Amino acid sequence: MNKTALWFIRGAVFCALMYAVPSMAIVDTYCPSDLNGDGISDDPDVVCRHITGGDGFAKMADGKDLYVFGFGDATGVPDGEVMMTNMLGANTPAPTIVVKEGQEVYLTLSNVGMANRPDLFDAHSVHWHGFPNASVYYDGVPDASVAINMGASLWYYYKAMDPGTYMYHCHVEVVEHMEMGMVGNLFVTPLQDGTAFDDPTDSVVKNFTKFAYNDGDGTTGYDVDKLIQLGDFDSRFHDASISVQPLPFDTLDGDYHLINGRGYPDTINPDPIVNVDGNPYQPEDSLVTVTQGQRVLLRVSNLSATEYHTLRSLGIPMKVIGRDARILRTGGDPAGTDLYYYTSSVTLGGGQSYDVLLDTTGVAPGTYFLYSRNLNDLNNKDERRGGMMTQIVVQ
Amino acid sequence: MLNRLKKKLGLVVAMAVLGVVMAACPASAVIQGVTGTAFNFTAKPGYIYGGDGVSIYIWGFANGTGVVQYPGPTLLLHEGDNVSITLTNSLTTNVSMVFPGMSNVAVTPGGSGVPGIITTECPPAGTVTYTFTAANPGTYYYQSGTDPALQVEMGLFGAIVVYPTGSFPASPGVLSQPGHAYNDTQGDSAYDREYLLIVSEMDARIHRAAERGIAPDTNGFFSVYWFYNGRNMPDTMGAAGDPMLPTQPYNALFQMHPGEKVLYRIVGIGRELHPVHPHGNHTNLIAQDGRLLSSGPANGADLRKRLFTIPTTPGGTYDTIFEWTGANVGWDIYGHAPGDPMQPNEFAADHGKPFPTPIPHQQDLMPGQLYSGSPFLGGSGALPPGEGGFNPTGAYMHMVHDHVEKELCNDGIFPGGAMTIMAIEHPSVPIP
Repeated sequence: MNKTALWFIRGAVFCALMYAVPSMAIVDTYCPSDLNGDGISDDPDVVCRHITGGDGFAKMADGKDLYVFGFGDATGVPDGEVMMTNMLGANTPAPTIVVKEGQEVYLTLSNVGMANRPDLFDAHSVHWHGFPNASVYYDGVPDASVAINMGASLWYYYKAMDPGTYMYHCHVEVVEHMEMGMVGNLFVTPLQDGTAFDDPTDSVVKNFTKFAYNDGDGTTGYDVDKLIQLGDFDSRFHDASISVQPLPFDTLDGDYHLINGRGYPDTINPDPIVNVDGNPYQPEDSLVTVTQGQRVLLRVSNLSATEYHTLRSLGIPMKVIGRDARILRTGGDPAGTDLYYYTSSVTLGGGQSYDVLLDTTGVAPGTYFLYSRNLNDLNNKDERRGGMMTQIVVQ
Repeated sequence: MLNRLKKKLGLVVAMAVLGVVMAACPASAVIQGVTGTAFNFTAKPGYIYGGDGVSIYIWGFANGTGVVQYPGPTLLLHEGDNVSITLTNSLTTNVSMVFPGMSNVAVTPGGSGVPGIITTECPPAGTVTYTFTAANPGTYYYQSGTDPALQVEMGLFGAIVVYPTGSFPASPGVLSQPGHAYNDTQGDSAYDREYLLIVSEMDARIHRAAERGIAPDTNGFFSVYWFYNGRNMPDTMGAAGDPMLPTQPYNALFQMHPGEKVLYRIVGIGRELHPVHPHGNHTNLIAQDGRLLSSGPANGADLRKRLFTIPTTPGGTYDTIFEWTGANVGWDIYGHAPGDPMQPNEFAADHGKPFPTPIPHQQDLMPGQLYSGSPFLGGSGALPPGEGGFNPTGAYMHMVHDHVEKELCNDGIFPGGAMTIMAIEHPSVPIP
């Protein structure tokens, strides 16, 4: 082969490579099972989600507008519109992602930048907290893998094999990004869902079709499940951030104490809380309304960057059936022996999760409280009778 | 030609870096400590380095008349050992030792001991001999029993590992050996490697006050430094016995191969609760406070818990076993083609399955220093100039850290604190 031909081939390969690599700095959904280009999977065994990392505002229960970082939902939003729709689109907490056991998950993360902090050029990532046998590339720790710069997209893949209550959060500059609000939850529902089981351990005959785990006997069955994400914001830290001041890492200590990103009484407001920009970015209430006899599954997690919390149920016993996305049986194994226990409180440090059943059989209709027993959590900063508290209404 | 030269040069550089890392590692795959049954300790003042380079005044235990260290020397004992520790006090205040979980704790008559609230204390310049029996295998600790609110905070503590009969490092201080942590016959406590993880914290104001002889405020405690084995990140990941950190001889850098069982012996020595989160997989918590989580003597660790975050309590110890194979990720973590031979402990169902997503353009990514440039275990790939370089073996560097996230700071500076790395190495990479 002569030299010219060799150069020609090299040139052709170079050009091919240029077109083969993904284009730079562009929002780009990756969803191989999307057949019609709407960004939504057309295969029932595959889930595609698109979330964005950026900034925005949350409204605290005392009316305070708090500057936050967060994830927004861009699933189904055309790629060309994502920057416009999701800039300033931080949700508090991040959108809850629910997938079924066995499903493959393609998660696109686009970084829409910090509109209020043009001096920042932070990258973002997603850490699926608790994902079993994780690879580092999809684990989202920026030191050991990659994170995505502004204006571009990164693609994660997970095969969800183990049901349970998980968390996800940004792991870039993790103290700052978690404290600022880049925290969310992820549930994997079991294959057993849809089959009917009567829990042999309870007093009434009732066929459950939804379960926390593949228990094989209905003991983790529920009628209603509820996200209970515990968290704290230190308003001094957030105010320093929006004022472009040094961040007080050394004195970090929450003064807003939250369930699902809200303090009481916002926790029991069934409507989204609208922020200072007029956007409904705190969509998750924690009011549980049930008919007497129904069973509630509380999916409790602590995503606070600063504190432990003890969540207490007043009037309805808690039955702990799962911990850290594993059924509470010996070795976390569905085939193990039950280690379920009754209690009236669970204590969680950051990054822990509990699955708790509240059975309302025989519970008189009325309003019951679920609240943090760390008494200083019952404040919305200086306002008392607020904070980390919500209600269970039995009808 | 130029390309070939570049490749060779790259390889040479990579091998050189690997060599440096490997040379630094032999002392890391092991629980370092002191062996025997008769020890001489000295309580004395000294200084450690915070991860931010600041000197912090401490009180600690030294082995013999050696250098004070934070934490104190780890005692590596056999089950049933009758142990004596002769404590000499070079501090200007009384000091003592207590041994939670140990049997027959006593003070040998004849020393210069004086009665204290909790135990016999050793006055300044005095000597007291404490004795105890290490009756049960497990993970324990010792600490000062005198004014613990101040003295434990200052650094007067250390870990104790009691190995069951027949399971002991063949060459202590050199090589970690497979073993079993307890005397169960089910194999629930069997491990291939073991690591110690002592979690502690500090309020720098207390140490500054003690240094200046001012009465320290132990009541208004507010921690600003968090330690694994006496070091803040990034020093946790440095070599053990690093001469730059003479009073912090223990590191906390972990290594394993896929399929191995790694026992973490976690000691919550401070006053705070710490949720320890090992990335990469769940762990099996098999024991607490030196006792198997067991429903009866013949039942092994049948009450073990499977957790992705291990919450430590003040003064509690936790033995938890971490395993990792990459099972069920849905793609081949080695980047094999379908016909390639299998790696040991590889998850067969994913063999040869392609990597499932594109990788964004380099300029859109922020690569980490511990990223090899490749998503595959043992792989490597192109990185932008100046990036990466701290992972020449292409290990999966999974973080292990406290999940009270603010504890990843050194006195207000991120990153730092209670954080380290578990390096899951390709099966072909030797781990000392």
